[in-house]
Amino acid sequence: MQAFFHRLLALDRRWIFLLVLISVTTPILVPIGLPVTTTSSTRNAFEYVEALKPGDLVWLSFDYGPSSAPENDPMAEAFLRQCFTKKVRVIITALYPLGGLGLANQAVAKVAAEFPEAKYGVDYINLGYKDGAAAVMRSLGQDITSAFPTDVNGRPVSEFPIMEGLRTIRQVQLVFTAATGLIGEYWITQVHAQFGTDVIIGPTAVSAPKYYAFINAGQLIGMLGGMKGAAEYEKLLAAKHEPLGKFYRSTADFTATKGMDGQTVLHGVILALIVMGNLAFFLTRGKKAGAA
Amino acid sequence: MFGRSCDFGGEKPVDTTTGGSLVSASVRLTASSLVVLTLLLCAAPAGAVAPVTTPPPPPELPAPTAFVAVDRPGDGGNAILLTWTDPAPLPEGTVLEVRRSEPPADEFGELQTVKPGAQRYVDASAEDGKTYRYELRVRGVETPDSLGIAGAVGPALVSDPVSPHDNWFRTERTNSLLAVLLFITFILTSIAAARSGKPIFIRRIAGLNAVDEAIGRATELGKKVLYIPGIQSMDEIQTIASIAILGHVARATARYGTDLDVPNKDPLTFVSAREAVHSAYLAEGRPDLYREEMVHYVTYDQFAYTAAVSAQMTREKPAAIFLVGYFFAESLILAETGQSTGAIQIAGQADPTQLPFFVATCDYTLIGEELYAASAYLSREPVLLGSMRGQDIAKAVLLAVGIIGIIAVSLGATWFVDLVRTQ
Amino acid sequence: MNADFGRVMLVVLFALIPIAGIALGMRAPALRSKIPLLVAFFAGLIPIFSMYIPKRFLSGDGGMSPRLDEWLIIVAGFALLLGITNVISNSYRKISRKERNWPYAIVLLVGLFTMGGFGIYGAVSHQGTGFLPDGSPTPFRWVETTVFQPLQSTIFALLAFFMASAAFRAFRARNTEATILLIAGAIVMIGRVPLIEFLAAPFPALQPAAASAGQFMGKATEWIMDVPNGAAQSGILIGAALGAASMAIRVILGIERGYLGLGKGE
Repeated sequence: MQAFFHRLLALDRRWIFLLVLISVTTPILVPIGLPVTTTSSTRNAFEYVEALKPGDLVWLSFDYGPSSAPENDPMAEAFLRQCFTKKVRVIITALYPLGGLGLANQAVAKVAAEFPEAKYGVDYINLGYKDGAAAVMRSLGQDITSAFPTDVNGRPVSEFPIMEGLRTIRQVQLVFTAATGLIGEYWITQVHAQFGTDVIIGPTAVSAPKYYAFINAGQLIGMLGGMKGAAEYEKLLAAKHEPLGKFYRSTADFTATKGMDGQTVLHGVILALIVMGNLAFFLTRGKKAGAA
Repeated sequence: MFGRSCDFGGEKPVDTTTGGSLVSASVRLTASSLVVLTLLLCAAPAGAVAPVTTPPPPPELPAPTAFVAVDRPGDGGNAILLTWTDPAPLPEGTVLEVRRSEPPADEFGELQTVKPGAQRYVDASAEDGKTYRYELRVRGVETPDSLGIAGAVGPALVSDPVSPHDNWFRTERTNSLLAVLLFITFILTSIAAARSGKPIFIRRIAGLNAVDEAIGRATELGKKVLYIPGIQSMDEIQTIASIAILGHVARATARYGTDLDVPNKDPLTFVSAREAVHSAYLAEGRPDLYREEMVHYVTYDQFAYTAAVSAQMTREKPAAIFLVGYFFAESLILAETGQSTGAIQIAGQADPTQLPFFVATCDYTLIGEELYAASAYLSREPVLLGSMRGQDIAKAVLLAVGIIGIIAVSLGATWFVDLVRTQ
Repeated sequence: MNADFGRVMLVVLFALIPIAGIALGMRAPALRSKIPLLVAFFAGLIPIFSMYIPKRFLSGDGGMSPRLDEWLIIVAGFALLLGITNVISNSYRKISRKERNWPYAIVLLVGLFTMGGFGIYGAVSHQGTGFLPDGSPTPFRWVETTVFQPLQSTIFALLAFFMASAAFRAFRARNTEATILLIAGAIVMIGRVPLIEFLAAPFPALQPAAASAGQFMGKATEWIMDVPNGAAQSGILIGAALGAASMAIRVILGIERGYLGLGKGE
């Protein structure tokens, strides 16, 4: 038994990698359909968007790249679906330099196809990518058209009814940023702090702990923390708007709810490894102390 | 009818105080009524007399008071601030209508409707250099109600001409400016005290004490020191701190003759790192040991950089790895790969996001402001130590204000929060 | 003071003064270290002033501070050229001296010139780097979506594996702090996912209790994230912000010079 624990302590990490691979891929191939519980930070975000009225204007920013797409894509898509269902008008931008615009185009095309009654230029518009992040946000407080004179296809924004009368970000009800890295934080420090626009953030799970400080300080309405936050939002959305449930019951497309199955199994495996590692640590340490 | 002035579409009201006018008005009115009555009697069929009804006159809507239009203070221009006092009482459903005129037309056009209670409006569509006049009036609802005040408007107040312009100071940031000036005062007085020879205590920071140990280990093993200065550019203060620490590490490697490798993700950081290392080797009098390849550029993409550096760690197995600067998702990949090679690892980051990964995988971690203290700690220059002391004084003041604020708000004195609020 | 004044001041501060300094520095070497400090002084002061002074020449559109932001992006672009030159020269050196693993240097150069070539072609031909008018991807976009994005996702996915191996090795109850870390980490890992419900799934009799336990762990997780984590994050953020402000003042005033490669007394 002692030998087993000694070998466990010196376990080659590649065995751990193999265990991780099996525990993540199996639920993707054989979905389990585990329940998702919601947290207050996600519920606050959801309720705020639910309270918006038809015709209200919101800003959706794709501030992430392909590397965190599995976490951030479901958030952005769920938010877009909710806005289109509630007939809230959406302005879409991308501020992440490497791949943000491509992901924005893909998500908008996907969700817009599900809502044929939503008209481009009237109910939503894609303003494309602009370099500079914080500098762009500062200019949004002065004049949006100076930062985004044309839409993603190169047409002047003045041609579109959705941009009529819109001068600064102060006139927008809400900014929703699906973010990785710093750009999400800039929306809080540059836009909310300077211009007062409300912000909801959808960060990657690794950045989420930092934003609790901003929530507690009242600088954030709510947060969708990583894939778990996205899964919570999907659950709230499907419960409130029954027609949208079909997007989250199908196992064909990847959704955050589906991804949570793999995460659940993985957490279990890691916890088991930690317990075994500690057992081995204490049992071998006791033996060493006895021998000394 | 007598004694009542009537407005007949542009005619002046009758002056009822003059007897002659009174008589002629009465005659005219009586004659008109007789004509109308005669026509009606002739047109109507016998036995069917339609009642003549006129809409009730709209009740008079009150006017707001104290209407002032000024350039919005403390801004960058292009905005006029309108303030007024709502009249009381206001009928239900009425709104305040703001209209604006500008040269050359000088005609008032509708600008905005404001709900009662706001008593202020900012016209952010004004342009600097133009002179505007504003008109404010109460307006009834569009749909007629039982009172018949469909679309009625009350008397209008007109403002003086006003022109927006940019100002010299953002007044809402007064508290912020005072805090900054106080902070700078603490720093400069502490530096002055340090320059005068006063000893400055700085607590032991294990990670910084281990720098020489790590370089010594690399020297003994004959392996290189790998220094990763984060993935952000030189506009990030953590990167500047990292390059300053790199200078110290480079001096040590020059002194001991240890190989140094600095892979870079950002081009500006690459240029600064190369300059810092070259200067360090010159300062130590070992220009012969300096090689251009020591500091090299890898790629701008985050994960391509991570893959390249991880592969380099696995191949070359450095003895000491420094992960100092601003890292994101790649932190755990780099640190765990470094851990697998058996190197001694010293990490440091001010942002708390990646700190848990560094704590779990590295031998020493500089947490938060310890990164910024490193330069002072390693050089022991009195001026730098003095600035650390000033920073600590500022933190103590901030803590005291926070505690007083908690007590004040708990006791209901919310004015304290408004007093120290910054923007 | 209008926008022209701001433009002229920027040119004077960041072009004329450094050029004059370089010229004077050739005669008096002691001046060479002073000019970068002077540039850092003005480059630090202008954004600070623009925070408090809303005058258009300073902080408005086309003002000194936004222009300085744009200049930084332009300077970084030129620095990127230096970086690419360094990559090419290092790779060439490895190939010419046949250093260890030199074939991979060829692979790197092929990748660099291929993607760079596609990007330049897209700019010169006005096709861009996105999609062609007929909806098909440009060569740049095709390589980006089929090679670059999957590789990026692959490296990012390594995090899951490394997190497991790091947790196995580091979450040992060696001392009090490590034990607290272990317990808090375990509670959050259980509370964030329906793990208890998953484990109780084969046992119907245990499912109600599992659901209650899962909810309790969820609430405990929320408390840990909100209270101790929120407090610690706030503390570190505030401390780091003060440290950054202090460091910034030292850099602006020229007290901190290590980032320029200057040491004590230089």
